[in-house]
Amino acid sequence: MRELAWLGAVALLASVGSFYTSSKFGFFGWANAVAGATALLAAFVLWLRRARGLGSPAARRMLMPSVFGVVAALVLAYGLERAADRANLVWDWTADDRYTLAPATREALAKLPAPLIATLYVEPGDNRARSTRLLLETLAEAGAGRVTRRERSLGESPEDVDRYQIESSNTVVLAMGERAETVVRPTEGTIFEGLRHLRADHGQVLYVARGEGEGDLQRGDDAGFLGLAEALKTEGFTVRELVTAAMSAVPADASVVLLVAPQRPLRAEAIAALESWLGRGGRLVALLEPGVDSGVEALLERWGFGLPDEVIVDPASGPVEGDAPGVNPIVFQYATHPATHGLDGTRMTFFRRTRPVLAQRKPEADDELRAVAFASRRSWLAPNAAAVQRGAAPEEPEERREDYWPVLAVGAFPRPGGETRIAVFGDADFASNRYLRALYNLDLLMNTIHWVAQREDEITLRPKTLTPDQYPLTPQQSLEMLFGVGLLIPELCVAAAAWTWVRRRGA
Amino acid sequence: MTALRALVRKELAVLFGSPVAWLTLAAIGLVTALLFFDHLRVYNQILFLYASSTMGGFESDTVPAYVNLRDQVFLPVMETLALTLVGLVPLVTMGVFAEERARGTDELLATTLLTPNQIVAGKLIATYGFIALALGLSFVYPATSIVRSGLGLPHLLAVYLGLFGLGIALASVGVVCSAFTSSQLIAAISAYAIAFVLYDFRWMAQFLPDAAAQAIDPLSMHLRFGAFAEGLVRGADLAYFAGYVLVAFALCRLALDQARVR
Amino acid sequence: MSNTIRRGAAIEVTALTRRFGDRPVLVDINLGIAAGESFGLLGANGAGKTTFIRLLTGYLVPSSGTVTVDGFSPISDARAVHERIGFVAETSRLYPELRVRGFLRFAGGVRGLSGAPLRDAVDRALARFTLEDVALRPIGNLSKGYQQRVNLAQAFLHDPALLIVDEPTAGLDPLQQAEVRRELREAAGARTVLLCTHDLSEARELATRVAVLSRGRLVACGPTAEILGSGDPLALFRGQEVGA
Repeated sequence: MRELAWLGAVALLASVGSFYTSSKFGFFGWANAVAGATALLAAFVLWLRRARGLGSPAARRMLMPSVFGVVAALVLAYGLERAADRANLVWDWTADDRYTLAPATREALAKLPAPLIATLYVEPGDNRARSTRLLLETLAEAGAGRVTRRERSLGESPEDVDRYQIESSNTVVLAMGERAETVVRPTEGTIFEGLRHLRADHGQVLYVARGEGEGDLQRGDDAGFLGLAEALKTEGFTVRELVTAAMSAVPADASVVLLVAPQRPLRAEAIAALESWLGRGGRLVALLEPGVDSGVEALLERWGFGLPDEVIVDPASGPVEGDAPGVNPIVFQYATHPATHGLDGTRMTFFRRTRPVLAQRKPEADDELRAVAFASRRSWLAPNAAAVQRGAAPEEPEERREDYWPVLAVGAFPRPGGETRIAVFGDADFASNRYLRALYNLDLLMNTIHWVAQREDEITLRPKTLTPDQYPLTPQQSLEMLFGVGLLIPELCVAAAAWTWVRRRGA
Repeated sequence: MTALRALVRKELAVLFGSPVAWLTLAAIGLVTALLFFDHLRVYNQILFLYASSTMGGFESDTVPAYVNLRDQVFLPVMETLALTLVGLVPLVTMGVFAEERARGTDELLATTLLTPNQIVAGKLIATYGFIALALGLSFVYPATSIVRSGLGLPHLLAVYLGLFGLGIALASVGVVCSAFTSSQLIAAISAYAIAFVLYDFRWMAQFLPDAAAQAIDPLSMHLRFGAFAEGLVRGADLAYFAGYVLVAFALCRLALDQARVR
Repeated sequence: MSNTIRRGAAIEVTALTRRFGDRPVLVDINLGIAAGESFGLLGANGAGKTTFIRLLTGYLVPSSGTVTVDGFSPISDARAVHERIGFVAETSRLYPELRVRGFLRFAGGVRGLSGAPLRDAVDRALARFTLEDVALRPIGNLSKGYQQRVNLAQAFLHDPALLIVDEPTAGLDPLQQAEVRRELREAAGARTVLLCTHDLSEARELATRVAVLSRGRLVACGPTAEILGSGDPLALFRGQEVGA
């Protein structure tokens, strides 16, 4: 009986082992599985026959409690696991709270207009999928029954690969009704953006001014603004170009006009069109660089914004990418306003060579005009803005005034045609591809645009796209630890093994 | 409790009185150290390659997100360590009951004040304690690296909690196999067979319907360990591994009683 | 070792039967051993002596019949029985990895001793059985004679009322055999001693009463001189029943 059981176990082991080596069941695996199962079954039958001898009353009295104990243990184990699963006791010990959903994601799930199916497409053996599976489980749990998760093998879903343009393993397809969104590198942040894409009705049209050297929303390099264009679409805007050189009026379907760092003065007709539109309740977001006179500054001054042509120097911020120290302020002071929702001393934004934007004078009594994001108290203004833009060091003025110089000001102006809303940033670089996703830049910019567009319900703090820590350890440091700790303990254990062996041999 | 404590001390003394236990500790520590170092070395090379000025500099965001300490070093090493446990734990557990029975010292134990439950509990406690010690020793080197790199100790603790659960489960399987035989070889082989079957049910998916394969997947040890490896500690997974302790206790008790009525 | 026991434990066996599968190993054994008696259980190899001991200690469960120690059943009152039992098994049933002192500490610990009483008991045992010189040596490194002394020492740690000794001199040379028998004689005191052996001279030397098992059946029981003194004692081993 034991020999049969042993042979059966060996055959089963060989069968399972063959699967692990070749990732499939071949003839060898099947033959061993059948032989192993047969041998084990035969051993079991022999044991049963032998166990008839265990039929004495004394034996039954001895064994029955133990047998019941085994059954009870199995039931208890299963029950414990099910109860724990239902209780959903989960502790996220990851360094970046990877499996703790941000409030924005929970809100997005709660606002789903229809049930969502999240399908993971994966190749066998792709270890990245484990993290994605756990993330999808977390989403399904938070989705309160509205989120279904599935998994498909990539190789067995050629139609889906074509339909959803899946290019690699570990891709998630979010499907809601007829719409689907493919998420290539699934993290909470990218899935969140996918959800927003799905929900976006793209009803609001945002016009981006072109024609006077503004930032190019179709450029994908570091200096371009393609990321901004993509983010605007994700956030539900239809993005169109507004060629200011030929503009005589702002299109009637414009929800918001976005100015991204014009490098040359706008035509007078364009300025007039903008002013007329703003007077009728138009909405403008302007990203204006120092050292440039685009003509928009004068328009904005008429709405109460002060835009001195200077550069904020913040000694609290260190040098970045070769620039002089302080010309790239890290902003962590915010006034309470929907545009700065959720931002505080721990959620900072980064600007590059920015001019101050002051809230100077409300045109009318009922107007609201405020500065809402500030450099540190030690910041001061350098007058040589154009030179600093070209890389020169900031000049210290004769009378250096240190203050909380603002980088963003917003205004709400009730007018007969509707409420005019204007937001002005003293920098455009912070929205470039290079920096848009640095710190909380995206959140500040998008929330400001949503506020200007009167879409306050879209204002949120977005989950971060995964950027795991990449602290390098030098080879020398690694080697030190290996010899100091890594090999020492095994060495001591081997020495103990040798000593034990010698002692047992009776030396 | 006096008798139970004495049994646990004896079990550990017998375990560490054998070179096998020390060599197992050395193997686990060595595998962890060498793999960790090797992965760290490759990771450093990749990182400094990206960090060079020709690649745009370290601050330029050209380093792909998947190139990080966690995914390139930490997780692969822990996966290998999990498999190492599958390979080594049966060697540690094969003699827990089987050697006792082969020597005849189980008869000595049966004449003491130890109840059968205490005998089972004492042996399981000692075995789990050995697993904890082995993992604790292997913890030192990765912990030093992780703390130094600033990744965060909680994630590392989550991984080792999962490894401990996995070790407990494997040890439970091994001790049960040892309880039903007096041959250490049979105990080891059967423990390997059962451990490989329970470790990962992907092989069953080959010939089961999708629904059935998905139903039994939560029984696999690898799936349960996987969540810990990702830094997620779930009550259901802890309960899963605790279930092995319960069932192992009951089965070992059955084995002892069966031996008395054979 | 002090003979502090005031009285030994009485053993009562009634219709005791044990089978392994369909094979009977002990059949309808009826036996009484008085408290304080030195009793020898004889039989050839395979007669059922070891099985009888295992039933007495509770290591095995009877197929039918009963066995009690001082009225306590080794199945239902295991603790009461084990408190009274000191068991000397064959020499191989020790832990070769453990040092002598460590093993004795373990043996005392699993018999409920701890702290100062345990230390004292171990020290006494080491002195009594002349093991002080080898106290720190691994058991596996000792000679058979020393190992048997260790075996004896662990059985006496808790001053048992019943001493069960199974083949105590198996594998020992004549000098060692004489030494072990002397130890047993001196340590018996008021204890009940159950000696299992197939060595007739050993039985004559140590037991006042003997029983003989042959193929699982009790074929003789009575005073040693009577059972082993006359005729052909080996006939008993062949299964020819004599006396009761």
